[in-house]
Amino acid sequence: MINEETLTLYFYDDGLSDTERQQVEAALQSDADLAAAYSRLCRELEQWREPEADPAPAHLKQRWHDSIDKAARAEIKQAARPHAAFHWFSFAWGAAMTAVLVLGIGIGVYFSGNTPVIPTIDNSANGIPVIGEPATPVSFTRGLQLHLQDSQSEIAGLPTDASADRVLLLAQIIEQNRMFERAAKQNNSPGVARVLRAFEPILIRLASDDIAPEDAEALRAQLAFELGVVLTKLAQDTSNETHST
Amino acid sequence: MVAVLKSVDEPTQAEFHDVIAQRADRWYAACLRITRNPDLAEDAVQDALLSAWNKRHQYERSARLDTWIHRIAVNSALQLLRKNRPAAWEPLETDIPDDSNSPNEAREEQELNTELTAALKRLSEIERVCFVLKHLEQWRLKEIANELNTSVGTIKQALFRAVKKLRVSMASLRSE
Repeated sequence: MINEETLTLYFYDDGLSDTERQQVEAALQSDADLAAAYSRLCRELEQWREPEADPAPAHLKQRWHDSIDKAARAEIKQAARPHAAFHWFSFAWGAAMTAVLVLGIGIGVYFSGNTPVIPTIDNSANGIPVIGEPATPVSFTRGLQLHLQDSQSEIAGLPTDASADRVLLLAQIIEQNRMFERAAKQNNSPGVARVLRAFEPILIRLASDDIAPEDAEALRAQLAFELGVVLTKLAQDTSNETHST
Repeated sequence: MVAVLKSVDEPTQAEFHDVIAQRADRWYAACLRITRNPDLAEDAVQDALLSAWNKRHQYERSARLDTWIHRIAVNSALQLLRKNRPAAWEPLETDIPDDSNSPNEAREEQELNTELTAALKRLSEIERVCFVLKHLEQWRLKEIANELNTSVGTIKQALFRAVKKLRVSMASLRSE
């Protein structure tokens, strides 16, 4: 007895053995009612074509284009980074410059007495902007700080091998990051949303299974640095808001 | 030499931009049909693009770049759907029609305003996903079962129910 379910599988040419297919073919030739039922089924299923795709919103397409550009930039910068040896002189020079920069910013902030609104600082190798948005609600900022601190410590303790734990942990961080990105948009903080979005390509690259250990380490260091910068900025904003109230 | 050949074979950044410009609407629509959630569909395409970019050395020129990314996007959509609603893949006895009234309903309605889409909304989640993967994406039953971590028998049953319900729905939609 050939039923509608068997005819459906016959139509899709999937899920039936050769013998079963031959049985259906024989039945279709000998049973006119069955042949009519099958022809009706075919007509209906063939009508159900893929609906014409409405255009995806323009801002989404822009986001997708941007993400490829960011990933490409990150790769170029990573490739340009020397892997072979640790250059003490460069490190010392960089550290000294950073110390001077931090001291300069600190002095500037101390003497300005105002909430520092830093418009867009391309602060690092990956170009993550730090944007001050004084209108951001304090509760959101606190939540964001906790998320970034958690991410920082989780990334610091990330397993070095490409294990399932590592992938799972990074997937969780990415998921949380997206939640905060959406919350930032809802809280009218597009700058914060942009900062969080900029982390995503690095996190996804870090989660990929074909990444070389030295590249993973470099990305991890880069992320730790970026997270540290954003946390410092958020702490400054929170502290200034507390002082001004 | 191998490295040179490999890098020549990899799709370039410009090719990625071209394919986004031409095919992103289709990827997004496919992900939207699976997730029924614009945020998840957006993330699925984003994940797929970054994953394709990071694994572009695995891409073979014999396949079309847009088809390759399409497949990755559908997989990403399934993963995101499962992560967000793990109950959707529980046994069929607990499978109830997905008629929840989400805040994105109006937007989604506008984006997927076709007869078939209207009929798809009357299916449960597993029925909809099985039908979309089998009928529109043309996956094999085994592939669907593997991806959804269930048996081929379960997928067949969901597909049969989907086809049966859709035939009824489409007939009633046309008679309205």
